[in-house]
Amino acid sequence: MSGKKRVTGVVVWLCITLVLLVCGLLIGAPAVKHESIREAMKDAVLHGSNRISLLGITDVNPALISAFTITGVILFVSAVIRIFVIPRFRYVPGKFQLLLEQAVGFFDNLAKSNSPHRNRFLGAYIFAAGVYIFIGTLFELFGLQGVTTEGASIALPAPLSDINAAISMGCLSYLAILSGGIVGNGFRGIGSTLKDFSLPISMSFRLFGALLSGLLVTELVYHYTYLSILLPVAVGIMFTLLHALIQTYVLTMLTALFYGEVSEPHEKAKIKQKKNQALT
Amino acid sequence: MSIPLNIDWQQILLHMCNFVILAGGLYFLLFKPVKNFMDQRTAYYQGMDKAAADKMKQAEEHEQEYRRRLDDADSEISRKKEQASKDAEKIAETILNEANRQRERIIAEAQKEAGREKEKMLQDAKEEIVELAMAATVKMLHGEAVSHE
Repeated sequence: MSGKKRVTGVVVWLCITLVLLVCGLLIGAPAVKHESIREAMKDAVLHGSNRISLLGITDVNPALISAFTITGVILFVSAVIRIFVIPRFRYVPGKFQLLLEQAVGFFDNLAKSNSPHRNRFLGAYIFAAGVYIFIGTLFELFGLQGVTTEGASIALPAPLSDINAAISMGCLSYLAILSGGIVGNGFRGIGSTLKDFSLPISMSFRLFGALLSGLLVTELVYHYTYLSILLPVAVGIMFTLLHALIQTYVLTMLTALFYGEVSEPHEKAKIKQKKNQALT
Repeated sequence: MSIPLNIDWQQILLHMCNFVILAGGLYFLLFKPVKNFMDQRTAYYQGMDKAAADKMKQAEEHEQEYRRRLDDADSEISRKKEQASKDAEKIAETILNEANRQRERIIAEAQKEAGREKEKMLQDAKEEIVELAMAATVKMLHGEAVSHE
């Protein structure tokens, strides 16, 4: 009985695949592309030509629209979760509650393990950064369309594949680290943070490079019809899901690590604290 | 002068603003409530754990207390046993002494009684002998008188 079901399933799957393949071929020649692959890839890096109007105020890169969209969606979903799910949390969690707790717990523990002295702000920051990078990277899988100022339709990219978004993320992370240094050690903390002046640049370009490489390969694959059969499955997983996971982990880990390093109380301060404790 | 890679400060600031809004929203909508709930649950289970540990400690203290009391009771029992044994010995000795005294008194009384009986018997015998002697004398005298007549 189960063998028969399995055969039926395989046959149905093959039929669906065949029908979709035939439909794909019968649809005819692909629509005329308004740009060549060379131009598309150059634009993916430089964002020179495809720009989108931001409510008629100014023209911006598509990644900024992606960023706003993602923020809106995340905040909306968070509000729904806050109103409808969190009040029904139980001490023995269900699957969705477990997922939320794992996400929060992961970043909170990352903050606690890397910065045992001061970690409340860090936990919240790396949670937000992690969620933004992860969902922002997966966002390109949905292929949401935007209309450029020239009237062409383009798929909205991952926000962090834009150099401006990557720089803002790197600089914000550096500022978060700097704030940890100031709160933890005062002027000494500023000094130890400024010592790693290359950090915002390395963080920004690491993110930008990693996500841009994924974008370029995906762009290349999706540009040709013949490459768009089966291959996008592997490409999507390789360059989107893995990037989402790896870049989330790398940036949050680095931020937590540097934050913990600069906010760690200095040895002299520790000795003074111990003396005070001994006196009291 | 244009910045390489089309870096745009305005867009960088807009991205930063976007992220700050997202971070704030996520903190208040998701991170803080979930973390508070997790902390609350941790505190609840830690409280349960502490209560269980306290009860365990209390039970151990009770056990020790009962053991101590049991040991005290054993020593009390053996002490009382010893005391009872001593008391019993004392009572037995008293009774024995009393019995000895009574025996001596009874013997003395019996001896006195026997002496008295002996005296009386001797007295009675003497009286009987006198009476017999007198009767014999009378009889003899009466026989002589008859023969003389």
